[in-house]
Amino acid sequence: MEAGIINVGYMQLSIVFIFIFIGGAVSVYHSLNIEYDMIIGAVRTCVQLFLLGYVLKVIFVLNNVWLVLLIFLFMTFFAARTVYSRVKDREISFFIPVSLSMSISFFIVAFIVTAVVVRVDPWWNPRYFIPLGGMVIGNSMNAVAIALERLLNELRSKRHEIEMKLCFGADYKEASIDIVANAMRSGMIPSINSMMAAGIVFIPGIMTGQIIAGADPALAIKYQIVVMLMLVGSTSISTLIVVLIVRKLCFGTGEQLLLRSRF
Amino acid sequence: MNAQNIIEFNCVTFAYFADTVIFKDLSIKLDEGVFYLIKGVSGAGKSSFFRLINRLEEPDSGEIFFKGKSVSSYRPSVLRRSILYIQQTPLAIDASVRDNLLFPFSFKSNRNLLKPADDKLMLYLDDFCLQGVSLDSNAINLSTGQLQRICFIRGLLLSPDVILLDEPTSALDKNTCSIVESMAAQMCLKYGKTVLMASHKGFESEQEYEVLELSKQTVKKRN
Repeated sequence: MEAGIINVGYMQLSIVFIFIFIGGAVSVYHSLNIEYDMIIGAVRTCVQLFLLGYVLKVIFVLNNVWLVLLIFLFMTFFAARTVYSRVKDREISFFIPVSLSMSISFFIVAFIVTAVVVRVDPWWNPRYFIPLGGMVIGNSMNAVAIALERLLNELRSKRHEIEMKLCFGADYKEASIDIVANAMRSGMIPSINSMMAAGIVFIPGIMTGQIIAGADPALAIKYQIVVMLMLVGSTSISTLIVVLIVRKLCFGTGEQLLLRSRF
Repeated sequence: MNAQNIIEFNCVTFAYFADTVIFKDLSIKLDEGVFYLIKGVSGAGKSSFFRLINRLEEPDSGEIFFKGKSVSSYRPSVLRRSILYIQQTPLAIDASVRDNLLFPFSFKSNRNLLKPADDKLMLYLDDFCLQGVSLDSNAINLSTGQLQRICFIRGLLLSPDVILLDEPTSALDKNTCSIVESMAAQMCLKYGKTVLMASHKGFESEQEYEVLELSKQTVKKRN
């Protein structure tokens, strides 16, 4: 496979920075004020990916199960931190429950894919487990953040309606069932949409990589299907668990809504 | 404790945030079957008083009793069905008047209650001066005054012991206001409920009722 791939030299790599300069120039010209973020983003991408490349090299050589799990945990923790920083509502402290439930659900999905579907031996083989696990974490992280944001938002804005239901004898689940559904839906829609558009609008990432690397497109398709379904599975499991746990945290022992607006 | 005290506050302290204390060491006993008018300026804690009784808020210290037992010893859904809190702004679901009246019966804890038939609902509508309202019309199209009375009926259908009315007349004109006030009185006089009604405005026939005044972080009975 490796024989088929053309090497990209550092000189050639630097040419892609032209795209950033074009984008930055447009931003300056129209005073969009995003040139600064674009440059930071580009630099971070380079630094982080170079680091990742070297870390992966080391991990592949060491080939140790504990190291693989440690990396996986680190990625999950970082994803949970990203979710935490994106959700502005801090009245309920959800960081620990969210990171726990994210790591458990991500691990289950990544394990099933490597051990049961792809049948990698051993299941933690870093060549498979880390990139697949990374995709699970990255995609689900977005879904969890969107769903959580929506959940807390609606619990606040629909407080009147929730309390009306509570007052008529609803339990906290009955009083918030449509809000949970909305939050789940908004978290899931991006990955469902990408399933709908896969192969028509775009050639998905893992397939692009494998085709460029010289793999048979028929094999690349199979991997892509595994990945897409795996992502839908992990986004739905992690979103559901996180949404249900955080909802529970938002209600007190007397089934009253704890989130309150200052008035 | 006296059996006819339906609600009792024992040294209750409650603050929304550390800097806004609403009640401090509040102790008060309320009798069964009485109509209480709760007066106090906005922000004095009329809503908080109600929300503490039906446990939408928890006191920071002290205890609240309903029929001699701590409110926290009841299942929340049962407590709230027995002490029915009707919010200031009536809220309808986008459905027929019938569905609005009956939707509390869809909740798990109310499923063992007998769902009233249409003729009973019609009687209630008559009783609350809503003769022109059809059970099949959409509740969203009703006026606030009508909707407020629909909420009264919706509450009564669950056969509560106590009804808490939070400023039911605040959004109404003078004419509708007196209708709603007399309907509120009716829930006590005709249906025998203990009614607590909050109002920052005056009440037309104040001298007929027990008046509770909320101020300075406490509640006092006016004699």
